[in-house]
Amino acid sequence: MRPGYPGTGLLRVTNVQKIFASSRGTYNALDGVSLTVKDGEFLCLLGPSGCGKSTLLNIIAGFEPITSGSVTSDEAPITGPGRERVMFFQDAGSALFPWLTVEENVRFGLRARKVRKAQWAAIIERYLVMVGLDAHRAKFPAELSGGMRQRLQIARALAVEPKMLLMDEPFAALDALTRRRMHAVLLDIWQRTGKTIVFVTHDIAEAISLADRIGVMSIGPRARITRLIDITLPRPRDVSDGRIAHLFKEIEDLLAPDLERSEQQMQKRNLPLGVAQQ
Amino acid sequence: MTEIRHDKAGLEAPRADHDSLWQIGKWLSANRLPRGLSLGAVSMVIAFLTWQLLSTFVFNPFLIPPPLEVFRTAIPMVMSGEIATDVAISMSRVLVGFVVGSAVGVVLGVLLGRIRLLHDLLDPIIELLRYLSPTAMIPIAVIWFGIGELSKYFLIFWGTFFIVLINTIAGVWRAPVNRQRAAECLGASRLQIFVLVVIPSSVPYIVTGMRVAMASSFMSIIPAEILAADSGIGYLLQRSSMLLQTNRIFVALLTICLLGFVVDRIFRLLVDRVLARYMSFVSQT
Repeated sequence: MRPGYPGTGLLRVTNVQKIFASSRGTYNALDGVSLTVKDGEFLCLLGPSGCGKSTLLNIIAGFEPITSGSVTSDEAPITGPGRERVMFFQDAGSALFPWLTVEENVRFGLRARKVRKAQWAAIIERYLVMVGLDAHRAKFPAELSGGMRQRLQIARALAVEPKMLLMDEPFAALDALTRRRMHAVLLDIWQRTGKTIVFVTHDIAEAISLADRIGVMSIGPRARITRLIDITLPRPRDVSDGRIAHLFKEIEDLLAPDLERSEQQMQKRNLPLGVAQQ
Repeated sequence: MTEIRHDKAGLEAPRADHDSLWQIGKWLSANRLPRGLSLGAVSMVIAFLTWQLLSTFVFNPFLIPPPLEVFRTAIPMVMSGEIATDVAISMSRVLVGFVVGSAVGVVLGVLLGRIRLLHDLLDPIIELLRYLSPTAMIPIAVIWFGIGELSKYFLIFWGTFFIVLINTIAGVWRAPVNRQRAAECLGASRLQIFVLVVIPSSVPYIVTGMRVAMASSFMSIIPAEILAADSGIGYLLQRSSMLLQTNRIFVALLTICLLGFVVDRIFRLLVDRVLARYMSFVSQT
């Protein structure tokens, strides 16, 4: 935990409701969601597809307005994207700027945030080294592998010095080996920088190996956080560890009935336009 | 295209009917010409052979003059600078109309793509007007602007503008939402997102629109010059037709083919030089 914010609730989600309205009707995505994310905490939001975890993350990022309830960051209501929160996307190809080199991608945020020019080189150097891309600084995103692109996204986000990283299934599109490596990279950066991370995933093993706390979500409509599970086991966490295996089984059982419902609902539900990708 | 054909031939080869061709291709490749180029040469040889055969054995050589005859007609036309003058005149018309049409199309397209109200207001008009091809506009253009340069500029502008406009709007709309959100998270203002993210993201669409518009300009300059001009390749066609000079008509037609091809190559080369970094699609979701 970072000094200066001793145990304060950095992010507070209170009784949030989110209703999507479209010409085809309304959809009650979230209902009564409450959550407090402590400063420096690594929180995973875990749930099956269509449970509204990405919607919740978009609300925290300030991309989506809420229907009722409140979301505050450092006691200030979130009304839009803020400088202390940076969103991190699964599809690096669309999130990065393909016409800018690795270095220029990182520089974009420094320029936008009006960081003094004299500091640019040092900041860029620091974060590119941190994610291991300093040797590739002149390359374009198209010339990088999937894992490297995600590392570039991390460097670009860290360079603007946010307090919180919001990650929407960031490694879901990577192959298993690269994903494991990215977990190590992310945990290392998290421990070194003390950022708060809210990480959305549908992968139980991923959540267990990363999180301080897992918020298990039920599927929509009226999705909410059904359980908060603290994980105090030391990292790196070994899947063959009995306690981990036990935890995995426990969460799996928790999600099992929802998974079936999720599939049934996917067939039945007429999703309003746009909800599916959010 | 030739490369694909080459690969297919490679898979099926050596079949009897492909054999000799395959040998020519092999010989050319062995002589270290780039593969595309060597097969392009083969393709040209086939075209001229077919042309020669058709005009000698199938059709009346007056209606389809054989290639050698056409070349014999072309030489003095090229030497005297007649062709060059006509090409220069037609090209200048295409370029002026194309450049102005593209510029206006991009500026308006970017605005319409971004400002919903403006789009909803103007879209119905655009949707109706774009069906008026430049050819359909020739009669009125002549009345408005006479048979001088201005009417030709206008007609090329007309054709280019709508194509570039519609592609630009599509490009602006397709700028990935994630990319805009990422920029917003990094602290970019609305104007910065528009200028630094949305417009660069739409460059591939704009360039595609401009290429299509360039081809369409070449198609519409000809009827414009046939119907209302006293110079240019279209006028050369019209004059030769009046005098039943099929040889000269063929020279003009060949010139149009070559010109379009060369200009498109130059355009692509320029894009590669200047806009290469904007042309990569990593992913567009």
